[in-house]
Amino acid sequence: MNEFLTISFYGTAIVLMLIGLYAALAKKNLLKIVIGLSIIDSGLHLLFVAIGFISNGTAPIFSPEVLESAQQMVDPVPQALVLTAIVIGFATTAVALALVIRLYKHHNTAAIDEIKNLKW
Amino acid sequence: MVISPVHYIALPLMAAFLIPLFGKLNKDLARIIPGLVLLYLSYISVVLMNQIISSNTIIVEIIAGWRPPWGINLVFSPFTGFLASMFSMLGFVIWMYTYNFKPEVDNAQKQKFYVLFMMLITGATGIVLTGDIFNLFVFLEITAISAYSLTAFYRERDGAEAAFKYLLIGSFSSTLILLAILLLYTQVGTLNMAEIALKMPAVDPYMKGVILILFFVGFGIEAEMFPLNGWSPDVYTQAPGPIGAIFAGMVVKAGIYGLIRVVFTLFDVKEILPLLVIIGMITMAVAEVIALRQGKLKRMLAYSSIGQMGLVVVAFGIGTHESVFAAIFLMFNHAIIKGMLFLSGTYLVYNSTEKTLDDVDGIGKYLPFTSFLFALGSLAIVGMPPFAGFWSKLYLLMAAADVRLMAVIAIILVVSVIEIVYYFRVIHRIYFRERTSTIELKIPSFNAKSAMLILAIIIVAVGVYPDLISGLIERATTDLLDKQSYIQSVLSVGLK
Repeated sequence: MNEFLTISFYGTAIVLMLIGLYAALAKKNLLKIVIGLSIIDSGLHLLFVAIGFISNGTAPIFSPEVLESAQQMVDPVPQALVLTAIVIGFATTAVALALVIRLYKHHNTAAIDEIKNLKW
Repeated sequence: MVISPVHYIALPLMAAFLIPLFGKLNKDLARIIPGLVLLYLSYISVVLMNQIISSNTIIVEIIAGWRPPWGINLVFSPFTGFLASMFSMLGFVIWMYTYNFKPEVDNAQKQKFYVLFMMLITGATGIVLTGDIFNLFVFLEITAISAYSLTAFYRERDGAEAAFKYLLIGSFSSTLILLAILLLYTQVGTLNMAEIALKMPAVDPYMKGVILILFFVGFGIEAEMFPLNGWSPDVYTQAPGPIGAIFAGMVVKAGIYGLIRVVFTLFDVKEILPLLVIIGMITMAVAEVIALRQGKLKRMLAYSSIGQMGLVVVAFGIGTHESVFAAIFLMFNHAIIKGMLFLSGTYLVYNSTEKTLDDVDGIGKYLPFTSFLFALGSLAIVGMPPFAGFWSKLYLLMAAADVRLMAVIAIILVVSVIEIVYYFRVIHRIYFRERTSTIELKIPSFNAKSAMLILAIIIVAVGVYPDLISGLIERATTDLLDKQSYIQSVLSVGLK
């Protein structure tokens, strides 16, 4: 049962990242690309939380009841990291959306194929 | 107030948040504050560098009372301190340049510019000073997000398009770096760079390879390595001129720092070094050949910048003490010389919309000062004596000759010839052609002139008398290559 839970967490995270990657690479609409980037982030965040996951684990706070069972504590570090990563992902998405608005006003389209004033 | 490396991060960050508030009180205050902050940071750079060089120690700053490896720590060693000092001083010079740049831009826009500018300084300096790998990622994102916004600063240009490209590839890079940090954490159970380095030999070699490749690609994007550098020419072309100098002097340098820190300190895999040489050589050769074909001034400078970064990576990849010395010297030279080329080149094509090379024809008569400095910078970057660029290239060739890498020497020399061709072509256009374009020229403001002059004086001074800087670089090299003392000084801090 625990095996199954762990594998399903990792599996979901990786599938999410792949879906996001597909959206970011294959979609032509700027908004959908931004959504794709955001999905990649979510997958990565889920992976972070899954790393620290222990089935039936306790919160990482020392108290008389759980002193003997430190092995059962969930690792708090990935959770702290994922909070930071979520905030960073939020900032990146906000900047990306602002750029999409700017591009839409400038070119009057959100299709990435039609915005090519600059060559690669 | 006690001087401490924390000021490098705390002060610019605080200034970034205070600028809009002070801007409400007095509209000039918002422009003056960044200058004061950067002047103070340059001052503490001198004090701290003096302190660590004379006492032969490194400063490890504990944040919030948690000593490493539990808390975040800042490491001010000769190498990181050298880069942090370079960023602060270059930042101050660029602030001088921007102070009266584009007077017609309205005040709210200027405030936004300085907020982002301060954030960029915070991020770039934080990357080099931090001793915690996740903290490094956070600073990398601060740098990247402010860099995206600065790229899109001008509404009338195609800045948003360049910025969106940069954002796409930049967030790909940050995803890879974050994944690498995650995998690293599962293997060693710590985020402190010194402790990671200590525990690295026990990690499964297969896992090590995967993590290293993720880091390599992630930082490679930030450091403009081939073939991941598609973003940079557009960004340099569309961003405001002084921001080009910041990209060349700080953002890319911070990317290189990340790459080097991971390869030299975190991992003990020496097999990656030849790969650095190969990637660096391809980057250099491809970029310089493309630079030859460019018809736009800033695009040419951008490709030349990519080429120089390739050269730096080659120098780090050779891996001997002499070549690492040459690499750090190259980083310093590239920051000041390419900085000056961007600052003076901006005025050469100031009012032009296309910014092509035709616009600089015969400009030497009309803008003698700026043209002269641009020509001086061109001579310096291709490595002519008696300018700063000569010494770093000479040291690199000597280091390559020491280890009998004749192919590397041959390619560097061929590429230098290409560099000479395209830079001298611009000098030829400036001085020996008749001016045909009718675009109104812009005389640089006094601040801009003094900023360019300061960089020119440094270039000539280091060129004539390289010992001014080579002592510091020698210490920085020793510090970077001495992994054991880094681990020891970080982990022993705060022990009773």
